[in-house]
Amino acid sequence: MAATARPKTMAELSPRPNVASANQQLPGVIDYEQVDRDIGGSLSPTAGWFGALAVAIVLFLWGAGAWTYQIYWGLGNAGYNPPVMWGVYIISFVFWVGIGHAGTLISAILYLFRAGFRTTIYRCAEAMTVFAVMTAGLFPIIHIGRPWKFFWLIPYPNWRLIWPNFKSPLVWDVFAISTYLTVSATFLYVGLVPDIAVLRDRATNPVRKRILAVMSLGWRNSEKEWRHFARMYLFLAAFSTPLVLSVHSVVSFDFAMAINPGWHTTIFPPYFVAGAIFSGIGMVFTIIIPIRKFFRLQHYVTINHLDAAAKLCLFTSLVVGCAYLVEFWVAWYSANRFEQQYFWNRVFGEWWWAAWIMLTCNMVFPLSLFSQRLRRNPTWLFILSIFINLGMWFERFVIIVPTLSHEFEPWQWNHYAPSWVDISILVGSFGWFFMWFLLFIKQLPVIAIAEVKEIVPPKLRSPHVHEDAIDVTGRHQAYEPDTPGEFD
Amino acid sequence: MGIVAAFRELDATVDAIEDLKRQKITDMTVYTPTPRHEIEQVVDPPTSPVRRFTLIGGFCGACFGYWIAIWTSDYWPLVVGGKAIATWIPFTIIGFELMVLIGALSTVAGMFINSRVPKITMTVGWDPRFTHGHYGIWVPGTPDRARVIEETLRRHGAEDVRHED
Amino acid sequence: MTEPAGSAGVKRRDFLKVLGAAGAVTTTVGCFQEDVEKLIPYLVSPDDTVPGVSTYFATTCRECAAGCGLIAETRDGRAIKLEGNPVHPVNHGALCARGQASLQGLYNPDRYRHPMARKNGKLERITWDEGIKTLRDRISGLGAGAANAVFVNQHETGSFPAFLDQWLAGYGMPAHIAYDGEAPHAVMQANRQSYGSAWPGLDFTAAKLIVAVGADFLEMWGSSVAQQLSFADARAKLADAPRFVYIGPRRSLTGLNADEWVACKPGSELAIVNALAGKGDLAAAATAGGVDQAVLQRLAGEIASTKPSLVLSGVTTANALDVALAVNALNVAAGNVGVTIKPAEALTSFDRVGSPNDLRDAVQRMASGAVQLAMFRGVNPVYVLPKSLRVAEALAKVPFKVSFSPYPDETTELCDLVLPDDHFLESWGDAESVRGSVSLQQPAMDRVFDTRATADVLIGVTKGDPATASRIPAADYRSWLIGRFPGGAQAFGAALARGMAPGSPAQSTGASRTVAAAPAPAPAPLEGQQGDFYFLAYPSPVLGDGRATNKPWLQELPDPVTKIAWQSWIEIHPTTAARLGIENGDHITVTTAAGAVTAPAYIFMGVRQDVVAMATGRGHTGYGRYAQNVGVNPLDALPVAHDASGGLALATVKARVAKTADSSPLVTTEGSARQHARGIGRAITVAELNGPEEEEVEHFAGDNKHDFLPGLRSPVANDAQGVLGNPKSKDKGMYDPEHWSGMAKRRWAMAIDLARCTGCSACVTACYAENNIPTVGAPWQGRSLRPFHSGDGNGWDTRPGANILKGREMQWIRIERYYEGGEDGSSDFDTRFVPMMCQHCGNAPCEPVCPVYATYHSPDGLNVQVYNRCVGTRYCSNGCPYKVRYFNWHGYGEPARRQYAFPEPLNWQLNPDVTVRGKGVMEKCSFCVQRIREAEHRAKLEGRELVADEFTTSCAQACPSRAITFGDAADEKWSVARLAEDRRAYHVFEELNTFTAVVYLKKVNHPAGGAR
Repeated sequence: MAATARPKTMAELSPRPNVASANQQLPGVIDYEQVDRDIGGSLSPTAGWFGALAVAIVLFLWGAGAWTYQIYWGLGNAGYNPPVMWGVYIISFVFWVGIGHAGTLISAILYLFRAGFRTTIYRCAEAMTVFAVMTAGLFPIIHIGRPWKFFWLIPYPNWRLIWPNFKSPLVWDVFAISTYLTVSATFLYVGLVPDIAVLRDRATNPVRKRILAVMSLGWRNSEKEWRHFARMYLFLAAFSTPLVLSVHSVVSFDFAMAINPGWHTTIFPPYFVAGAIFSGIGMVFTIIIPIRKFFRLQHYVTINHLDAAAKLCLFTSLVVGCAYLVEFWVAWYSANRFEQQYFWNRVFGEWWWAAWIMLTCNMVFPLSLFSQRLRRNPTWLFILSIFINLGMWFERFVIIVPTLSHEFEPWQWNHYAPSWVDISILVGSFGWFFMWFLLFIKQLPVIAIAEVKEIVPPKLRSPHVHEDAIDVTGRHQAYEPDTPGEFD
Repeated sequence: MGIVAAFRELDATVDAIEDLKRQKITDMTVYTPTPRHEIEQVVDPPTSPVRRFTLIGGFCGACFGYWIAIWTSDYWPLVVGGKAIATWIPFTIIGFELMVLIGALSTVAGMFINSRVPKITMTVGWDPRFTHGHYGIWVPGTPDRARVIEETLRRHGAEDVRHED
Repeated sequence: MTEPAGSAGVKRRDFLKVLGAAGAVTTTVGCFQEDVEKLIPYLVSPDDTVPGVSTYFATTCRECAAGCGLIAETRDGRAIKLEGNPVHPVNHGALCARGQASLQGLYNPDRYRHPMARKNGKLERITWDEGIKTLRDRISGLGAGAANAVFVNQHETGSFPAFLDQWLAGYGMPAHIAYDGEAPHAVMQANRQSYGSAWPGLDFTAAKLIVAVGADFLEMWGSSVAQQLSFADARAKLADAPRFVYIGPRRSLTGLNADEWVACKPGSELAIVNALAGKGDLAAAATAGGVDQAVLQRLAGEIASTKPSLVLSGVTTANALDVALAVNALNVAAGNVGVTIKPAEALTSFDRVGSPNDLRDAVQRMASGAVQLAMFRGVNPVYVLPKSLRVAEALAKVPFKVSFSPYPDETTELCDLVLPDDHFLESWGDAESVRGSVSLQQPAMDRVFDTRATADVLIGVTKGDPATASRIPAADYRSWLIGRFPGGAQAFGAALARGMAPGSPAQSTGASRTVAAAPAPAPAPLEGQQGDFYFLAYPSPVLGDGRATNKPWLQELPDPVTKIAWQSWIEIHPTTAARLGIENGDHITVTTAAGAVTAPAYIFMGVRQDVVAMATGRGHTGYGRYAQNVGVNPLDALPVAHDASGGLALATVKARVAKTADSSPLVTTEGSARQHARGIGRAITVAELNGPEEEEVEHFAGDNKHDFLPGLRSPVANDAQGVLGNPKSKDKGMYDPEHWSGMAKRRWAMAIDLARCTGCSACVTACYAENNIPTVGAPWQGRSLRPFHSGDGNGWDTRPGANILKGREMQWIRIERYYEGGEDGSSDFDTRFVPMMCQHCGNAPCEPVCPVYATYHSPDGLNVQVYNRCVGTRYCSNGCPYKVRYFNWHGYGEPARRQYAFPEPLNWQLNPDVTVRGKGVMEKCSFCVQRIREAEHRAKLEGRELVADEFTTSCAQACPSRAITFGDAADEKWSVARLAEDRRAYHVFEELNTFTAVVYLKKVNHPAGGAR
């Protein structure tokens, strides 16, 4: 069949295509119906899925139990060691917020940049974003001394007319995180609506069909709907782009606005944003590589897509590494004794081990991605992504703990070691995250059906009519993907 | 009362639409499994007004953000860290975040309003295949022109034409 | 002590019952309560006790023998705070940490709540009538054995010893034994011989040179508060201040305050003193003492040339008496007597102290089985005497033992009859601390438990038997006192208001023992002994001989020198430690001929390389939940050795030191002992002080010295007034100086004179007492170590001081102790004591980061912490450069939690003006805002402005060296405003532009040769 022959030859022309073009062809996909079949088919639960879900729920419950215990006995059961007043919880908060950033980057920023390779992975990344931010949002509440009063940080009208302090970075956090959660959740849902409509119409189970019908809001794929949808999608992307940059900048203000050595620096916002995207892409690999394997979606999430994402990973890794080096240079150049003594203690003193975990995992290992062979090796990408997650957690550890343990007042220098409560709650947070994610991937499509259909060649009656108006190949040029609304 | 046709091929759909328009039949609804420029260009619709919702929403959000921060600060003036009571520079963050939040939500609302979702019924002039692999055209029509329309659709290779009432 | 805190102690309702019972009992002994009500004296006298308004009683402290004057603040019938009595000749209003903490003796949850008698092996509750009857029967049953009865009483001044001896004599019993384990007996005996009085007045201000030969006059050596006041005044003379040289094997707190330390071997002091006096061979002395001859040469010259000087001895070696006599001779020769040493103004606190030999002999008589009846009051021989004396075995031989101790100490637990004494804040008494003036002791409140003053018990014993009833006509001890009081009840009642009266209380009929009852065994000469280390035990500056150890405030108070709390340690020199491969916290065993002790090592520059030192006071096997099984007792390794005066010789034995396998972290509040050139505790030498004003003595990175803002007026207030800040912001509220409250006109500030501060840490305990600060170091207050275990203490960190190991002590004010120099382990290093509390910055980094305005800046310059608003993000603490904010990690205020810090009845002490902070909120020094507002309100009620220096904070009030000055820096009339302009003034971390409200005045050093 002609429609299928063309892409094959295209693939043959370049067995190892110039990856820079991020060729997002899907040679293995023939027509629209196949997309529905493959992706819809991946939704049926398997034993492995149930097992994974059970593990996640158990971990989550363990963490919840530890938190209850901590609330009853007080934060003293966590590892805090004054003056180290922030510990695992804030570290994990920053870690999870960072994870979230890749989703929005892929679904919004790459969308604006017309990076075609995003098409098959962005739904996964977006879901990851929403659940990661849900997880991150828990940590400030777990962290504070009186969690039952956390709502005092929210400006709600009250008869005492007491309002939060809008000068405090923590209040900025409240606004940034809640906005981010709302917008990315909305972004995820509206993107899902047409796909839910597809599932609705393929569903056989009447109950499921009814639920999907409600969730799909009666979407009908009419040209008018698509037109407004495209516009809305474009503007949401346009909003999410500065938002994703602002959120981690605001998080970095938590540190940069304090006067502590190692914190009080203007490099933090870009440094944090780069780190966030870096860690997020790491987590995307951690998630997407098993999914494409177990859901048998290799012909959707192709090696080319992973390759392109790996380049992004390499780039952000270089940015982050540069930020690390600049920090050291600034400390030396500032001639500020507090700063210099602090950095010495960080890298060669008490915290050398954490600092070097950070440097090797985030700076050294990702350099392997300069090799195209490794970029195109899913196994290596998966292993590397684990290192990146570890390294980025320790980056936040290195930012928070060494500073607080080694500040202006030598008399109050101290150490820090997490307790079983910290660890339990950290592990529980992974349980919480994966619980939601696992539930998601078996209920809703992990790959955006409608957008994949865009890059699948449409059926044509005659190849040569309307040559002026119709791209008869149905193909799309690299970096010029068909974007709804782009000609408005 | 009208006619709904399902097409297999993209160019066939485009031809049919063009032909119908040539016959001054413009009140049709086109269904497509995924957005296609070919269709968009041939239908040639007016620009979506969603962007106005975005603009207004974003503007209101930013104003509210600054206002709430400044008003609450001045309502109960407490000095912290030797800073001014109402410090507008950090309040920019509040303004920005609320601009994004309200702007984004009003954009979605604009999409819903303009494309009339959520829809309660979808029985008339529609076919589940349109979310699968088929393109579709729905022309609400009076019996007098029904023949012409059906003939046109079939000529352009509609796989299936159905009268609905 | 795994019993959850809070479950112990009587509940409130029980307390009321107890009160009733106490009332009923007391009526039988003379209408105790009514008397109190009739005789409530006032310093400031309102018409009547108003609920919520404090009532003040003048009384006398009995924690140590000094007998300082107290003002007990009571609120609604409960004593809540002790302050020094300003009119008292000894302490002039100051009060040491132990004095402050005597409240926790009063409210100690482990006090006996009723009399008890031993029935089939264990102590069981009895009534007072039974108790008194039992005692009476026992005494009458003695017959001839009465001559062998023993009554051991804590040494105290005043009438009680006389009363006691009179009572004993009535039954044909020998005079009582007055014991004081802390008193330097050799010095007293030498003083009696040289000056005719045990403790002549010491005037440090008159001296130009102070030489202390092991005399820790800021600690347990005599009346420390009085001496500290005088010493601080002397140092405050700055350029004219006396240079201070300390000679001894260990650099104690007193030694750390010295300008020069001559680290000599124990036992070599006599040779050195003689050499300095020009009577001995310098070279021989130098070799004997292991010190540099040139140094001795120079010192001898200084002593010869500098007059007047003040030479003090306080060695605890076997030849202590000879050293003391030599030193006195030196003083006489140097003409210091009458100038710096004033026998005319002698302290009489120690006049009638008995020789420890008496107690030792009594113990030996008990061991021989001769003693039929032994009575103990305020003395705990089983603990305070070396284990090698086998006191417990001796007691077992005594058929009947009576204890009047209110606490379950080691001795009392062996007694057959316990008749718990009243606390001194519950009972009557008197003291003569200075010749010719009586200091009265009166109840500040009703009894906490069903206890009774020993004197009243003794009276009860005589009254119960018609044959003896006539001996003491007085109805009770109070009327006995009044009966003998010059001027009678009238004068007595009048005197109570000031707590002082001229005159002299009755003296004991018993002979004051000036010579040892039995010749002390000559201890083996130090040099001949085995072992390559000198083992040096010294009385803890905080816990003394161990009688203060059951008070959590004092257990929690870090040792002023080592900064270790809730733990015993063995001090060892860095070089030695390195040689033996010993790290801080490694357990080391010190083995002497008499025994062995094992404790964590603390590496300390302030001991000689051949000395290991250890503080007494811990290592109780009883004495209540706070003392039991905390630390070890160095006396376990001490032989029974006395100097010629009978005083227990603490430095008489050599030891071997061995490192053991295990180690435990030091429970210390010390982070880094070095300032890393950050200019926190700064000093200036006399030369620089006399020289022209220099820019900055100690330069450090980023230092950006700027002038003080006028009157320390905070830029915050200026901002609020629109000078610096946003001029468009209209409503400045109370930040507007024109606001009717006028708050913004003031700027509360504090000046701390490091030249005065001796690091004694009295301010820390005073702060605990005033601000309801929880103690967190008790063994059951630790955190959880294992998941979801049963709450019975297993799985919890039950090490003493576990929370302090995690840096969670709550010291709103802490004393930082930094060293300068001596990195090479030499004895030549300088110590800087820096009291550090919330600096109440004008531009406080902690304020803007709080998301809920829980901390903000008040118009009068306070950095306010609103506990009820705090949600516990702890961001403020991250922002604070001084790290003076403290977080409630556990429910220290929740009785239902094991970490509860105020088990009944300790919670009765809580200051009603201050919140008890809940779990999960941040707290910090408030500049005693409750005192500020109280003073302001009082002024308002009296329709006047605040008078300059009319009130002060708790720490400043207690400070025995008057180093802390508090007031309104925006008003020149307050002295703090003057001090802020001093040329020694500086802010800590000035370069951070925090505009702190605390001004430090540089310490002044007097290097050798730098002085006149």
